[in-house]
Amino acid sequence: MIALKIAKRELTAAWRERLHGFRILMLCLIFGIASISAIGSLRGAIDAGLNSNGRVFLGGDAEIELTYRQANAQEVAWMTGQSLAQSQIIDFRSMAVAPATNKRLLTQIKAVDSAYPLVGAVTLSNDLSLPEAFAGRDGLPGAILAPALLQRLTINLGDQVQFGQKNFVVMATLLKEPDNFGNFALGPRSLVLTKDLEGSGLLAAGTLFSSKYRLLFEDGSQLGKAQQRFDKDWPGTGAKWKDARKASPGADRVIERMSRFLILIGLSGLVVGGIGVSAAVRAFVAKKTGHIAVLKTLGATPGQIFWIYTIQITVYTGLSVVLGLLLGALTPFAARPFLPGNLAEVALISIYPSALIEAAVYGCLAAAIFSIWPLAQTEHIRPANLFRGGATAQWPARRYLIVQGALLAAALFGAVQFSGSWSMTFWLLGGIALSLLILALISGAFQFALRRIMRGSAFQRRLPLRAAFSALASGSERTGSVVMGIGLGLTVLAAVGQIDGNLRRSITQSLPDKAPSFFFLDIQSTQLPEFNQRLAENPAVRNVETAPMLRGLVTRINDQPAAEIGGDHWVLRGDRGISYADGLPEKTKITAGQWWGAGYSGSPQISFAAEEAEEIGIGIGDQLTLNVLGRDITATITSLREVDFSTAGMGFVILLNEAALRGAPHSHIATVYAEASAEIPILDELNQAFPNVTGIQIREAAALVTGVVSSIASAASIGALATLITGFLILIGAAAAGTAQRAYESAILKTLGATQREILTSFALRSAMIGALAAGVALGAGLLGGWAVSHFVFENQFNIIWGNAALVILGGVGLTLITGMLFALGPLSKSAATELRHRD
Amino acid sequence: MDNKFAIDLQQVHLSLEGNAGPVDILHSIDLQVTQGSSCALVGPSGSGKSSLLMVMAGLEQATSGRVTVLQEDISAMSEAELAQFRRGRVGVVFQSFHLIPSMTALQNVATALELAGQPDPFDRARDKLTALGLAHRCDHFPKQMSGGEQQRVALARALAPNPKLVFADEPTGNLDVANGASIVDSLFTLTREQAETTLILVTHDIQLAQRCDRIIDLRDGKICESNGA
Repeated sequence: MIALKIAKRELTAAWRERLHGFRILMLCLIFGIASISAIGSLRGAIDAGLNSNGRVFLGGDAEIELTYRQANAQEVAWMTGQSLAQSQIIDFRSMAVAPATNKRLLTQIKAVDSAYPLVGAVTLSNDLSLPEAFAGRDGLPGAILAPALLQRLTINLGDQVQFGQKNFVVMATLLKEPDNFGNFALGPRSLVLTKDLEGSGLLAAGTLFSSKYRLLFEDGSQLGKAQQRFDKDWPGTGAKWKDARKASPGADRVIERMSRFLILIGLSGLVVGGIGVSAAVRAFVAKKTGHIAVLKTLGATPGQIFWIYTIQITVYTGLSVVLGLLLGALTPFAARPFLPGNLAEVALISIYPSALIEAAVYGCLAAAIFSIWPLAQTEHIRPANLFRGGATAQWPARRYLIVQGALLAAALFGAVQFSGSWSMTFWLLGGIALSLLILALISGAFQFALRRIMRGSAFQRRLPLRAAFSALASGSERTGSVVMGIGLGLTVLAAVGQIDGNLRRSITQSLPDKAPSFFFLDIQSTQLPEFNQRLAENPAVRNVETAPMLRGLVTRINDQPAAEIGGDHWVLRGDRGISYADGLPEKTKITAGQWWGAGYSGSPQISFAAEEAEEIGIGIGDQLTLNVLGRDITATITSLREVDFSTAGMGFVILLNEAALRGAPHSHIATVYAEASAEIPILDELNQAFPNVTGIQIREAAALVTGVVSSIASAASIGALATLITGFLILIGAAAAGTAQRAYESAILKTLGATQREILTSFALRSAMIGALAAGVALGAGLLGGWAVSHFVFENQFNIIWGNAALVILGGVGLTLITGMLFALGPLSKSAATELRHRD
Repeated sequence: MDNKFAIDLQQVHLSLEGNAGPVDILHSIDLQVTQGSSCALVGPSGSGKSSLLMVMAGLEQATSGRVTVLQEDISAMSEAELAQFRRGRVGVVFQSFHLIPSMTALQNVATALELAGQPDPFDRARDKLTALGLAHRCDHFPKQMSGGEQQRVALARALAPNPKLVFADEPTGNLDVANGASIVDSLFTLTREQAETTLILVTHDIQLAQRCDRIIDLRDGKICESNGA
């Protein structure tokens, strides 16, 4: 068809010119598509790794986990009867002490049996096998420690380490623990044999530990049936089932959410890329105005013109998609050496078609959405434009708007399908759209304001300023595209920086003022009086709070499965800390219902945290069934309490009356508020007196959390940088496109007597003003976002993070100024006579 | 000669929107041009000559009045209908040539034939270029040719489909005397070779105007004088 023939001719000509005029369009698309496909490919690699190595990560075909207790004889018999092999692991927090240096550190102890590991292999730093390492030396059992533990305790292989009341010999360093993927722990790992913990005083009744039973089946593919048998035979035991089909649900969840978030950030880059596409297509159509008018003179219809140029844009888009996918698919291969240790081990780097398809779909839709409007403008180019100059910008015909609307809806639908979350997609893309709208409006308002300001006499005899203002006001600098292009990337950077900075400040600065110095766990009832007395006698201790502590799982709400009523709420996901109290605890505020009163011994009652109750959809009168130590307790909610978790202090979602739980084996926890300088001596004293008690220093835990938060912020910042780079491409495109105009302007100004310095100053001013405008709007949006998150989500005071603010402003102005100057030197150097003759 | 009108304008008025409001370009133009004749539009700059040419060629819609071209009323035609009407019927030669820079001479001419739906467009295009002495320039781009050569390519493009109407807007305006004369000779020769081809040209050159069957003098958007048939 004729449109195809003419399009082919123009494409051939463009190829001869090395795609001049389309490079920015293609780069914008390539970059956006590459980002999304790289993230998707990495996610695919991790998913594939998790799925194919499920048995290794789990340490067996299936795992049954019990909290606070070991399996009883009946349960052991079930497991023995159902599986070919079993292995028991007991996992708990404790203190590791170096007797030689008296240094002590929180550690996560994994006590294993001789069958461990059922699947996979543990890697040690030396040639010892696990049994050899556990055999120990000199009558002492062996322990295997994580490198961080050795380093911080300042001990070496062959030295002793104390757990509870028992000493072990450090026989090896733990290099690789295959069944530990995705598990978050506050302390580094220690590995011992369970039987060697006898006499340590750890694992006493009421100690907080979880026992995990790994099972190997004859037919590892029948896990679904095995789970069905478990569900039927283990009701009400509080046991949890996990199997190799989803070996690390926690890690899965984090990776899934993170990758969804990063892909949506990547989409913001593609949206900015779309602005670049739109600007490039507009410039392309403007350049082709003469061609279009001639073709129409020769008899080409508006529809044919539309298709001639749409075909060309489609070819460039196709090429960009291919190159973007290639780059994105290869990025995980190149990034493998830089992946964090855990992910590098898990990820099966390969080509993942679904990730590439997702990116291709996004790329094609973005190109279509952003190019349809300028392509539709070709309808308004009349042959008479050949005599009278360019067509005026008008709204496209309705059919194009309908198509654009349909494409936008398809893109939104696609984003929801691929991300799996309406709310995340809506908020993020809605935020992007709103940011772009604000940037566009402010850019327009800026140009309007400039036109007004220029009427003032202040501009007489100030040539650089007047020339800069008039260029910006006239729209020849493409202020709108540039401001939107770099503004969005700067906005995300500003928002992430302000939120991250405030969160970190809250954790590291304001939290220590409110948070306790320590959490102490596993205090036995018999130890509690002496524990309290020691602290009472210490002048550095400001306050001590204690509470009994058990762990339980909410299994049913009003006799319905809990998940059906409360969904995926965190309180219902896994076992929770539960406590009991007789009299109303100090500083407790009841917001609804009534406390049961001291001495109450009737049917079990619950006081539930008010905010969480509202989120789950339960309230006064509702009945909860809790499984505690394998026994079901059904209790009625009779009051709701205010619980403030932000202080990191004592706070239980579920409190029962004392009589309901007093008889259950349990330990106590304590929060201790002390002067910072006294923390280490307090820890030393209490650990020596009570070797089974674990002390968690909140300061250290906060540092760990800060690290995690920073990693997330870094990932988001990298995504924002990708958006900023795309915006930078738009900036380059606009600067390059304006070169001819600037050369002409320079020539005329030179003819009128302007110096090179005055002209260069004018160019610099306009670049700096655009950058300052974009950065100013971005910073405003970032501050607003940071305040909103601090106030509504974290309920903290918001402070401006000045470092980030300065970075945003300097970044915006710097980028535009440097780019503007680079593209100004060429036009400035041209001879006025040559330039004006060329125009004639 | 058949006295059928190639162009018939009745009370044609053209007004265009400018920055300062509407501007009247043509006022109540009544004009008939006999088929197969040649007609020169003369007048001072800004008199509306080019605008009148554009209205007659269907490149501009009259604000009011009736425009009949080759017995078809084009006054109310849409953009698409006008484009289709022009195919093969109307050829236009511009002062600035307006060749498509990304196409060779051959492709520029062939495009007009392809749009007109005529068979063997490239062969016919080559023949036309050869007839104008440009056989050796078929595969050259506009920027590789002189002004005279470019205008001859434009002439070939306008005449290749054998249109019934040929419009030329200052065809020699950007050419030197020698080239200009050559172009004009070719224009008249080729249009006369095609039976019943009507030629309308805009010119400042009185000698050129006098070669036409009729001279129409336009001033301030109105026909002041009309000599000849």
